[in-house]
Amino acid sequence: MKRWVIAAWLLLASTAIAASAQDAPAKPKDEDKVSNDQPDRPLQMPPASTEVKEALDDFDRFKRRSAWERALKALYTIPEDQASKFIDGENGFIIPVASKRRQLLAALAPAAQTAYRLFYDAEAQRLFKEAAGPNELKSLERIYSAYFTTSVGDNAADRLGDFYFELGHFDRAANCWLSVLRECPDTDLSRGLLGVKAGLALYRAGRRTELEQIRSELADRYSDERVSLGGQTAAPAALLGQLIESEKATVDAEQPARIAGPANLKLDTEIDADWQFKFAASVEAGMNEAELVQWESNALSAVVPSVTIDGSTLFANYLGYIIAIDTKSGKMLWRSGSFHHLEAMGNQNFAGMMDTSRFTILAAGDQIWTLGRDLKDQNFFAPFQLVCRRATSGEVVWQSHDLSDYAQLDLCGPPILAAGKLFIPAKGQGNQQNQGMPQQLVLAIQPHDGKVLWKSEIGSFRQNQMYNRWGWGGNMMTEAQPRLIYRVGAIYIETHAGVLARLDADSGALDWGYAYQTDPVQGQGRFFWNGYMQMPETPATGSAPLESGETLVVKGMQSTKLFALDPNRMKVAWERPVARSSRLLGTIGTNLIMGGDEICGLDLPNKTLQWATRVPNGCLSGRVLVRPDGLWQLTSRGIVELDPKSGEVRRIFRGKDLGTVGGDLILTDTLLLAVSNRTITAYPRRPAGPQASRGEDSNAKRLSSITGENEGIE
Amino acid sequence: MKRTLLAGAAALYFFWTSGSAQAQYFGQPMESRPPDNIEGFTVSGKARVSAKPNLVEIDLEVSASSELTADAIVKYRDARKRIHDAFAALKLKNVEVEERGLLVDQKGMMQNPYMWGGQMNTRNKTEVQLTRKLVVKASNIRELSEEAVLQLVAKLLDVAQDAGARVGAQNNFNPYYYNPWQNMNTSLVRFVLDDFDKQLEDAYEKAIADAKTRAQRLARLSKVELGPVVAVREVAIPGERPAMAEDEVPRKRLEAGKFQDIPINVDLMVRFDIRRTPDQK
Repeated sequence: MKRWVIAAWLLLASTAIAASAQDAPAKPKDEDKVSNDQPDRPLQMPPASTEVKEALDDFDRFKRRSAWERALKALYTIPEDQASKFIDGENGFIIPVASKRRQLLAALAPAAQTAYRLFYDAEAQRLFKEAAGPNELKSLERIYSAYFTTSVGDNAADRLGDFYFELGHFDRAANCWLSVLRECPDTDLSRGLLGVKAGLALYRAGRRTELEQIRSELADRYSDERVSLGGQTAAPAALLGQLIESEKATVDAEQPARIAGPANLKLDTEIDADWQFKFAASVEAGMNEAELVQWESNALSAVVPSVTIDGSTLFANYLGYIIAIDTKSGKMLWRSGSFHHLEAMGNQNFAGMMDTSRFTILAAGDQIWTLGRDLKDQNFFAPFQLVCRRATSGEVVWQSHDLSDYAQLDLCGPPILAAGKLFIPAKGQGNQQNQGMPQQLVLAIQPHDGKVLWKSEIGSFRQNQMYNRWGWGGNMMTEAQPRLIYRVGAIYIETHAGVLARLDADSGALDWGYAYQTDPVQGQGRFFWNGYMQMPETPATGSAPLESGETLVVKGMQSTKLFALDPNRMKVAWERPVARSSRLLGTIGTNLIMGGDEICGLDLPNKTLQWATRVPNGCLSGRVLVRPDGLWQLTSRGIVELDPKSGEVRRIFRGKDLGTVGGDLILTDTLLLAVSNRTITAYPRRPAGPQASRGEDSNAKRLSSITGENEGIE
Repeated sequence: MKRTLLAGAAALYFFWTSGSAQAQYFGQPMESRPPDNIEGFTVSGKARVSAKPNLVEIDLEVSASSELTADAIVKYRDARKRIHDAFAALKLKNVEVEERGLLVDQKGMMQNPYMWGGQMNTRNKTEVQLTRKLVVKASNIRELSEEAVLQLVAKLLDVAQDAGARVGAQNNFNPYYYNPWQNMNTSLVRFVLDDFDKQLEDAYEKAIADAKTRAQRLARLSKVELGPVVAVREVAIPGERPAMAEDEVPRKRLEAGKFQDIPINVDLMVRFDIRRTPDQK
């Protein structure tokens, strides 16, 4: 009997629990919120240890109880080696533990501040005294990170700001001074002077909105002060104005005068090409019909060479074969090998295992740098190599293959040249035993000898993408295509794997990451035994973040979110859903131009899609000319010109590139270069009108359409 | 004991009656063959006439997708407008763009023949896709020369492609799954004959005449006199397809992928009576 009663009670209790669980309001799942620790995200930034998270939880708990001693003690149990690891911050940002700690300390209540100083002032002062010589920067950074709210925190921040400013880290310098202004109300330092310094750093960092804010604050609050900086003494607002004006004058004097001339690019009449380089014909020469069919069905035959122009020379990287062409005559200057050797590759179908978008080229001065791999190497996982050559002869200066710095590295994205360094994304191959997940890295390289200056880890992939590139029927497999941009002393990397990160260009220190929702670029969806029934969708080429005012507009390759980030204030200015296949092309006024299945115009103030035009074969890849007077895209049916305001197709210039898959358009001072998978064609730029004649004597007229720079490149 | 007997009897009766029903069913004549008790001559009459197509059709597809349905609408609206504008700019009176139904779907999804009970969506976000099939029709091509038809078709294809339309039957099928029906009628251009009433009349007349010739031959060899027609069945009806759900194509039409005379085949089954002589009566 007893057993029956117990069983009945148990049943009743379980029913009640289930019912209450049902009645409880379901916790709304914020599907847009992303965390560094989410296991389904493709990339994880170096995570802080569990002890750090526990320490932060303890701090929070003791803080709620006003047990300040224990709360602060918990915070200082965080080991220093964990300070550079990453933890979820606010608004989707992933920040270093050191930043998180500083934020927590700065937000302490006055009572807690008093307690804090009681416990930690001595240690901070000791550190501040020791901050000299080679350890100065490190000690100041330590105080700024861990003891900012002590009595010497403001002084340390001020000195650190000076230090950063001298190093050219204007962003960081501005942040140091701004933090004293905003977070240290009892500072003894001159607030006017701090404001001027912060304003100047903000100006150099290009943070215009914050600069205006500081200017008005200086004018309103500190107009009575007199401060001296750079040998000038004046009221803070006036001094800041003077300093900025003198900076502007210096910059204007250093910039070369731009050549004036009509900016229009007119293709309204059929014009002959100045020259055409037919490289595909060279590959196909001597092929019999069966070989030709096989070559054409091979994905390699649709590859558009990566092209760059330096001076009057065009350099192209066609599947690892490098060629230099004189843009004036169209004559080949040199090449690294005969394209005809590609014929052998036509019989191999392993090209489907290779992401050919990695073949890139960069030229500056008397050197060029190419990223590629030997197509004859049938190892699917063979790493891509960076090779530096002389621009005049193609002679190899150095190559990553020969340098030990590059062991276990697979260079995976287009390099950029900025601040005298070469920056390039790379993939690390797990640990020393080649186990574990590969990491996303960024390398800074000395351009002339290939020496790696620094190597920073952005994060670890949660799936090994290298094993997911298998395809059927010669379909080209794509993978995340990381892109870099340089902006005032910082390198931004869009990993296209759900993280945009900022690094210090000098030291490689990782400042923060922003996590956004994305699908993995290359999942297992291509295998029919793994739910392949969702049609494989060709992703658009990965775009680099686009600068729009002070914000960076970002769109991940497999993300359905478009967002603008204010990287200095670490805020998301706006975000909106877009088609997964969208990519960024450029901005014209307040319009954002996007590619993808269609070319679209998005009105930025309202975030509404204004127009969409489907061009032949879409706009998933290729460099599109985005200019205020028009949009031009090379398609398989010619060069399509669109009105940037309405998206109306103005005309289709058939040109000499028919029979190709389309490709890139590059505008130089005198030429419009169309680069397709078969040819490189140079059309002369000239003003509109049928009277615009061609020929040697019309060179002057054609040159009048110079705008002075390569424009509108994606 | 009684109950057992009763049950046995019932089972026996049931078995017996069901057996008789089965015999009755199989005793019925199959529809595809003439009845067993046929009288007279049943012969087939066939005829074939042909005519030039009077219409050329090109399938286009306009589709747009986005996570925001409002974006998909803008894209779809613009794409559709540009196609209409492009063909209107041709100013050809015999060319029109016909619209078929609008499909509101999810991008990238398709029927999975290997997976019952639906399939998992492995994507984080769903993209709404709007798709509409457009059919560009150029009529009155019968009077045109082959060269003129070629020029017209080339113009239509060029305009469609320049307007960014997807041309031809869409390959929205699974490349790893073999389905022979998916590969049917995938030609880029369709030549259509839909005004063949007169030719049809001729074909029927010829088919009846053909049947009569055959029946007369049989009667002569059988040494009987051929009587009147007592029944006619259409075996093959030219240009008619069975009705299908969401059918968008007219049911009576003949199509060819090649520009050539399109055959109109009529196949009849005709039964003639045997005229009995007074002796036979």
